[in-house]
Amino acid sequence: MWTQWHFKIALIISLVYLFHPTKTYAQYSKKNDSANSARFLPDYVKLQFAGGIGLLSAGVGYSFFKEKLEVSYFYGYVPKGVSIDDLHSVSLQVTAKFLRFKVNPDIEIVPLNVGWFIHHTFGNEYWITLPPHYPDEYYWWSPGRNSGIFLGGEIKTKLLSNKTPASGTAFYARMGTRGLYIESKIGNSSIPFRDIIEFGFGVAFYR
Amino acid sequence: MIKKNKTFIFFIALMALTACDGMFDYSPYAIDFSEENRNVNQKNIDKLLLREPDDTLTIAFTGDTHRFFDQTDEFVKKANQNPAIDFVIHVGDMADFGLPKQYTWGNSYLLKLNFPYFVVVGNHDLVGNGLTAYNEMFGALNFSFIYDSLKFIFINTNGLEFKFNGKVPDVQWLDAQLRPNTDFSKAVVIFHVPPMDRDFDALLEEAFQKSLAQNNNVLFTVHGHLHGHEIYKPYEDSITYVNVYGVENMKFNLITIVNNQFDVDTVAF
Repeated sequence: MWTQWHFKIALIISLVYLFHPTKTYAQYSKKNDSANSARFLPDYVKLQFAGGIGLLSAGVGYSFFKEKLEVSYFYGYVPKGVSIDDLHSVSLQVTAKFLRFKVNPDIEIVPLNVGWFIHHTFGNEYWITLPPHYPDEYYWWSPGRNSGIFLGGEIKTKLLSNKTPASGTAFYARMGTRGLYIESKIGNSSIPFRDIIEFGFGVAFYR
Repeated sequence: MIKKNKTFIFFIALMALTACDGMFDYSPYAIDFSEENRNVNQKNIDKLLLREPDDTLTIAFTGDTHRFFDQTDEFVKKANQNPAIDFVIHVGDMADFGLPKQYTWGNSYLLKLNFPYFVVVGNHDLVGNGLTAYNEMFGALNFSFIYDSLKFIFINTNGLEFKFNGKVPDVQWLDAQLRPNTDFSKAVVIFHVPPMDRDFDALLEEAFQKSLAQNNNVLFTVHGHLHGHEIYKPYEDSITYVNVYGVENMKFNLITIVNNQFDVDTVAF
């Protein structure tokens, strides 16, 4: 069911781009957020390194409640060579941003971001519902879809705002883990806590 | 602003550098094992063949370690106290979710063993891209070696994981392995799922059993999957099956072989 959600969201985002008046891109409408044509554009695009969702992943998303909540959708890629086989995956993330400090007119620190993600890896071996050849409830988890949590922080700047339609550029870092790793760690003091943490960092361009 | 720009670039570059240390995870299914986590079974065969056999062969068996990592740690500590052990066999299910990370964790304990060790593949080890992870870490799913004129045959019996495709277990391979020759007198066959289990390909059960019996040279077989311990003779051929303790029981089985006679013991830890 969650995969369907992934596809739905991806579909909605692609449709919005496809059937949108194409002028939007050229209009540099960043200072005119209420413009009809810009209403459905993502509020930001992100490029992330690591964090368990790809060597590199690219995401788009929306901000809600005065940027206190973000919903993002990432596509992540791990090339062959870094892993034995290349890996394609998507993830849906919900991030709550609890604190915000303005250091000066150009720089804002957003130090306490808490998030939840669900990650779907593509491929037959990464099934989501138990394949029919297994007896019922043979395996209780699904390799193709698993969720996790993360904690992160962000520094928001006005970088690139003069030269591009972006209103600002943010740098962020995050550390997370996922359910399957937590399950592995429970009851095992001999597994280092560090082993279940997925570090990542990235850059976000805000509209 | 330009100054800050440079600081950020430096910051990003620094983080990119630390990535080389394997600090960052790219995917739960990324497989990039270090040298000690590759080709483990063959390396241990090479190590074992350097040893000088004496008149008693002592083998410690564990298995079904799943997510019982602390218990696996305890097993290794206990086994290391017994210098009589010639080698250790893990009867499968080392990676509960089949995750590469669980393979690495599982092997991190076994690497501390003072003895050569071998791991046969279990059904859990094959979930996700576990097959690739097993091939990378341990090697071929079916393998064998001869030590002190005894042949040890490890065979993949996880038929369910291969949709009962009629090829698992590979009975023809087993036939060829058991064909008598001057290199070995008796054979010990090790697998994860026992032939009478629902997870074994029912269409191959008879052929498998016949293969084991036809040359009258199988000393005994060992399996896991059921977690408990039992010594039994399920078929008319009178071949002994030894089901060995799953590690969570805080017990392991020790099998000693002298002059083609074997004895099964249990050790608590």
